[in-house]
Amino acid sequence: MISLENLEPVFQQVFDDQSITLQRETTADDIEEWDSLTHMNLVIALELKFSIKFALGELQKLKNVGDMLDLINKKAAK
Amino acid sequence: MRYELIQNNQYNIGHICTAQQCAAGRGNKLAMRWFSPRMERSDYTFFELERSTNRFANLLQGLGITKGEVLFTFLPKSTEQMVAFLGSLKAECITGTLFSNFGEDALLDRLGDSAARLVVTRKSLYRKIERIRDQLPALRTIILTDVAADLSADVLSWSRLMAEASETFTVPVTTADTPSVLHYTSGSTGKPKGVLHRHGSILQQSRTANEVLGLGDDDLFWCTADQGWVTGTSYGIIGPWSLGVTQLHYAGGYDAGHWFDLLQREQVTVWYTAPTALRMLMREEQELYRGLDLSHLKQIFSVGEPLNPEVISWSRSCLDKEIYDTWFQTETGAIMIANRPGVPVRPGSMGVALPGIEPGILADDGSKLPAGSQGNLCLKAGWDSMFITYLNNDSAYRSKFRDGWYYTGDMAWQDRDGYYWFLGRSDDVINTSGHLVSPFEVESALLELPEIAESGVIGVPDELLFEKVIAFVHIHAGIEFTAELELKIRLHIANRLSSVAIPQEVLQLENLPKNKSGKIMRRVLKARYLGLDAGDISTLEE
Repeated sequence: MISLENLEPVFQQVFDDQSITLQRETTADDIEEWDSLTHMNLVIALELKFSIKFALGELQKLKNVGDMLDLINKKAAK
Repeated sequence: MRYELIQNNQYNIGHICTAQQCAAGRGNKLAMRWFSPRMERSDYTFFELERSTNRFANLLQGLGITKGEVLFTFLPKSTEQMVAFLGSLKAECITGTLFSNFGEDALLDRLGDSAARLVVTRKSLYRKIERIRDQLPALRTIILTDVAADLSADVLSWSRLMAEASETFTVPVTTADTPSVLHYTSGSTGKPKGVLHRHGSILQQSRTANEVLGLGDDDLFWCTADQGWVTGTSYGIIGPWSLGVTQLHYAGGYDAGHWFDLLQREQVTVWYTAPTALRMLMREEQELYRGLDLSHLKQIFSVGEPLNPEVISWSRSCLDKEIYDTWFQTETGAIMIANRPGVPVRPGSMGVALPGIEPGILADDGSKLPAGSQGNLCLKAGWDSMFITYLNNDSAYRSKFRDGWYYTGDMAWQDRDGYYWFLGRSDDVINTSGHLVSPFEVESALLELPEIAESGVIGVPDELLFEKVIAFVHIHAGIEFTAELELKIRLHIANRLSSVAIPQEVLQLENLPKNKSGKIMRRVLKARYLGLDAGDISTLEE
């Protein structure tokens, strides 16, 4: 089971900020550098880290990091 | 009675946008309706704007920052950015705005070249400046907008400083030629150049806010541009407030739901946005637009990249609104060529020249070309918002002018009815979602990675972004080009330069095409990527 603690280092690496801590409620508005362009970096980093593949547009429907974590766990379990 | 923009020879932008509005009886009028990314609303009157900008001007004086010295904001969209911008102009400092996604190289270039004395930022962004601070000897003070108390003798608290500063300030009578705003822009070679403007630019910014955007006393205006770029300062601050117009600002990024909620609920009357955003809206579920009441929205304007005719058709059919494309650049400071109400829109064109602006299509030898001919888009020098120099690089500034014409770097043609049509850049600069990206800067950043031996960067057409950044890399022998390396490259560009410079594709090449003097031939890379004829390759070293 992947947890928020497992996601944190990926976020810290992608957004170059070791102080990032994640809650299920965290959104792009809470992280200064999370925009549509850096989002692509996050997608690639998550795919590499957890050996999963996101479908096109799949992440756009997610409301927050909690939703993202659930989707990653669902994919990792397959 | 007609409102006089310049009163008693006072050209000070900060004064005109605040104190002059209060003196004109607009003190209690709403200057800004601010929405946080979570849609929390705050309202600010012109009186409040006047007092807070006075406080900022006073705190600068208290810190010993004087006329002509440079300071920057390095903030995401925030009210502090607006206050610092106008307050520093009141104190006759030169003020710049740094895009909040700039990385360390981008910051070092700008803060170093300008010898900036002060930066207003946030704690989370300050870490980037901290890493390069030992290379910035002129940088004396950092102000953090989100700490309650000073962190050290030179890392100070905004709230503490603002609370202690007086809310009255006498703005000196500022001449039109006094330096004002500094924005850095990317070229195809060399470091970014500091485009310096003057307080007199407000004449053109105000005139175009009125005559092109049609802004008047009863309007609610929303410019979606980030204040890190020229549109965000010329039309997200100066133009509308010079006329006492209420502005809406939303601190979040692109969000179709929030955007249309704001347009409808707040009854925005004039909206200024960008083609990439409009193309993204066009791709949303069209259900989103059903039942919307946009009856208060009089006009939509666009700037940053050419607006494709499909977007204009979509807006006509889906929103029942016309979109007017406008053209200007950092160096011009304000709109020069535009489609505007009262002039029939020719979809795909840049529009017609504004009164007092004289564009010309010139051949490389400087001769003026007739209608229908393709050439360099130039402007007769001398308009009010013309930049006054590239900071510390006057030779580059002078090289942009020939025989009284300013060469914009854009290629265009003019039809027989006076409409201008954009063709492309005359250099290799990449326009991606309205932001100019220097291939040279991206190539240089790529070479900082030990795995990369050579790099070549180009821009190619993209349906959404207008152009996208493509990087070609030749990696050292024995190193494998893996997905991990690609991610490393993307993160490196994001963290050293900016998110806007991230290559959309990174492609590996065994040999990059070079001329006989060893220069990467971007033209050949582009032709190969697009499957086109590379043209004259007689200088190619294979």
